[in-house]
Amino acid sequence: MDTLLFTQHNIFMLLQQMSVFLVIAYLFTKSPVFRTFNIGDLRPKQMIILYVVFSTFSIMGTYFGFPINDAIANTRAIGAVLAGIIGGPALGTAVGLTSGLHRVTLGGFTAVSCGISTTLEGLIGGLFHLYLVRTNQQSKLLSPKIAFIATFIAEIVQMFTILLTAKPYSEAVALVHIIYLPMIVANSCGSAIFVSIIRDQKSMFDKLGVIFSNKALRIADETLSILSKGFNQETADKLAKIIHQETKVGAVAITDREKVLAFHGIGSDHHKVGITLSAQPTIQAINEDRIIFIDGVRKRWKCTLSENCPLGSILSVPLRFENEVIGTINLFEPKNKLFLTMNKTLGEGITNLLSNQLLHVRYNEQKSLLVEAELKLIQAQINPHFLFNALNTIIAILRKDSDRARELLLHISNFFRTNLKRKGALATLEEEMNHVNSYLVIEKARFEDRLNLEINIDPDLLNIKIPVFTLQPLIENAIKHGISDMITPGTVKISAKRVDGMTFIAIEDNAGNCGEWDTTGLGMNIVEKRIKNLCGEQYGLEVDCVPEERTTVTVKLPERGCRSDKSTDY
Amino acid sequence: MIRVLIIDDERHAREEMEALLNETGEVEVVGSCENAFEALKAINKHRPDVVFLDIQMPMVNGFELLSMVNSEIMPHVVFVTAYDEYSLKAFEEKTLDYILKPVSIKRINKTIAKLKELLITAQPVAFEAEEIKRIPCLIGKRIKLIGLDKVEFVSAGTRGHYLVTSEDEYYTDITLKVLEERTNLIRCHKQYLVNMDFVNEIALLENGLGVITTSSGGSVPVSRMYLKKIKSMLLL
Repeated sequence: MDTLLFTQHNIFMLLQQMSVFLVIAYLFTKSPVFRTFNIGDLRPKQMIILYVVFSTFSIMGTYFGFPINDAIANTRAIGAVLAGIIGGPALGTAVGLTSGLHRVTLGGFTAVSCGISTTLEGLIGGLFHLYLVRTNQQSKLLSPKIAFIATFIAEIVQMFTILLTAKPYSEAVALVHIIYLPMIVANSCGSAIFVSIIRDQKSMFDKLGVIFSNKALRIADETLSILSKGFNQETADKLAKIIHQETKVGAVAITDREKVLAFHGIGSDHHKVGITLSAQPTIQAINEDRIIFIDGVRKRWKCTLSENCPLGSILSVPLRFENEVIGTINLFEPKNKLFLTMNKTLGEGITNLLSNQLLHVRYNEQKSLLVEAELKLIQAQINPHFLFNALNTIIAILRKDSDRARELLLHISNFFRTNLKRKGALATLEEEMNHVNSYLVIEKARFEDRLNLEINIDPDLLNIKIPVFTLQPLIENAIKHGISDMITPGTVKISAKRVDGMTFIAIEDNAGNCGEWDTTGLGMNIVEKRIKNLCGEQYGLEVDCVPEERTTVTVKLPERGCRSDKSTDY
Repeated sequence: MIRVLIIDDERHAREEMEALLNETGEVEVVGSCENAFEALKAINKHRPDVVFLDIQMPMVNGFELLSMVNSEIMPHVVFVTAYDEYSLKAFEEKTLDYILKPVSIKRINKTIAKLKELLITAQPVAFEAEEIKRIPCLIGKRIKLIGLDKVEFVSAGTRGHYLVTSEDEYYTDITLKVLEERTNLIRCHKQYLVNMDFVNEIALLENGLGVITTSSGGSVPVSRMYLKKIKSMLLL
């Protein structure tokens, strides 16, 4: 027989055997066991699994081989070398030894040589593993090129082993002459293909993971801003729409405890918004406060609203708020579609996320409600005192200077009008100063030369936004607890400037009445809370008092003022 | 004519009150003061029948001012305030009247009528002074409030009354008599009050006199008349 022809024949034979082998390998990578592997970081239990799997592959390689001259041309090397590359020298040697011992039991004049060489091949794979890990090239553990080279070298080593150990030598030479080319080519290619299968499967799972995380993040991101407006029919509708779009399930419904708040997707012709709950799983989810899942395969679900409803499976997740079920989020798939585990997980995750968000939103709502209520209280509190003193002053001035009295009355009306108008959260510094100015004109008339004013505001800052009603209480404090308690004339200085990326508004009096300054007082507290709420935690008030010298209250604000949407943005 | 003193820290409020009182034709405004210190002096000097007194004033408020006035010359008191109903309630029974700012002439007339009746029947002043807790003292042009718990003793000299603390001496307008009545300072000499908390030792002299040494080393004479009382207070 022509040697070359025989060699070619052998290569094809081996490749054919290898194909069967690779199909089995492919099936393995599809199994759930494989998914949990993280190459490069294997735990003992996984090592054992890999040992069993690769040993099986290696032994299968022996069986899929075919006898030549009382020896077996085979693909046994693939399992051993790959076990070494993936799991390290210990695993490689173990697999090689197992498979080698198995080969020894099959007999033939190369039995012992093959046993030794397979063990060596596993070790060679392991050495590649060590080299790659030590040079920090873990990513190459699944490189087809490395697998090819490693197997190539391992097979050459095997050929020499046979030549050195198989007896009689002449037969060993004849055998190696026939099998060296098919064995080296088939095993090297087989290893490379096997590794690329593993790699593709791995990257596919990774991609799926990325898609899944992206979806979850996108939904979280989009729903966050919606829920800040509360849980009602309008926001439920938006939520259902987003969940429907992102998960691409058949339909999404959001309910409260009694009725459907929103429905998007297949069956919206009869699943109408506002109807009383009819789906048994949803009612059960609310009553028992647990997730109800009817997959449509093991257990069937049928819509009670319409005979022709195409929906056949349902996931109903309770939406909790402060330990109470306030509604449900329901995902549906039609009868002809499988309910994906991914969508089930996603549905449960989203609902949990929304429950947390609701809690957060309510917390913020209450917090700001409280601050607003306190603000109203303080507005009501100061006004009578200020008003009666102001009126008394104007009445006195009316005897001597009716023009001035008229001017003061106009300031009073401006002050109260702006007080009433202030509904929003923020106002420009200019608006605040206008409000404060009327107040100061009146107080100046009251105290006359006992009150001096120095106002120094950087004109660039006039249009920055600050929480409404920030300055007036502070200036009122400076007068009430500072100037009005001084025997000698006092001065209030109001200044605003930008320093080091922050805006500072300072209100200073020269009374230095440190004991009187109650920094925990209601007025100061509310101003501080509002600044933190509306502008950010790092901003607020700072009080600095030097007894009998001065008191300075500094308002620290963002460089460009506060953003109007901040209240719903954290 | 009823002799009236106006006490209010706001100039316009004082002027308005003066105008209104003059309008009644029943009163003589003997003075107009812008703080408690001026007022204390003016009361001592003019001995008015009645004070129209603002409650909120710098450093020493209306109530505190009254606690510093000698009971023999204590005038009738009409409180005038803008919006302080809460604190007024507590004093309602002790005071003659209170008026809310802004004030109408009608309201003033009513108060004057009440006053006239009181003065004709010569009823005693109803106001009961509070205990003094802080004593206003003059330091240059500044006024400092000295807590009683810091005062070791008070002496009356030719130029006025001095509070002596462990650190310093302060001049005050409040008389020894008022301080004796409305503080826990003890009379030990015609010209001295002592804070028993600071008494370190008493040296008994031969002629029935004594000398107190205070914690910070000041010495305070004890006259024959008060020595027995001081000794009994110390359980001697």
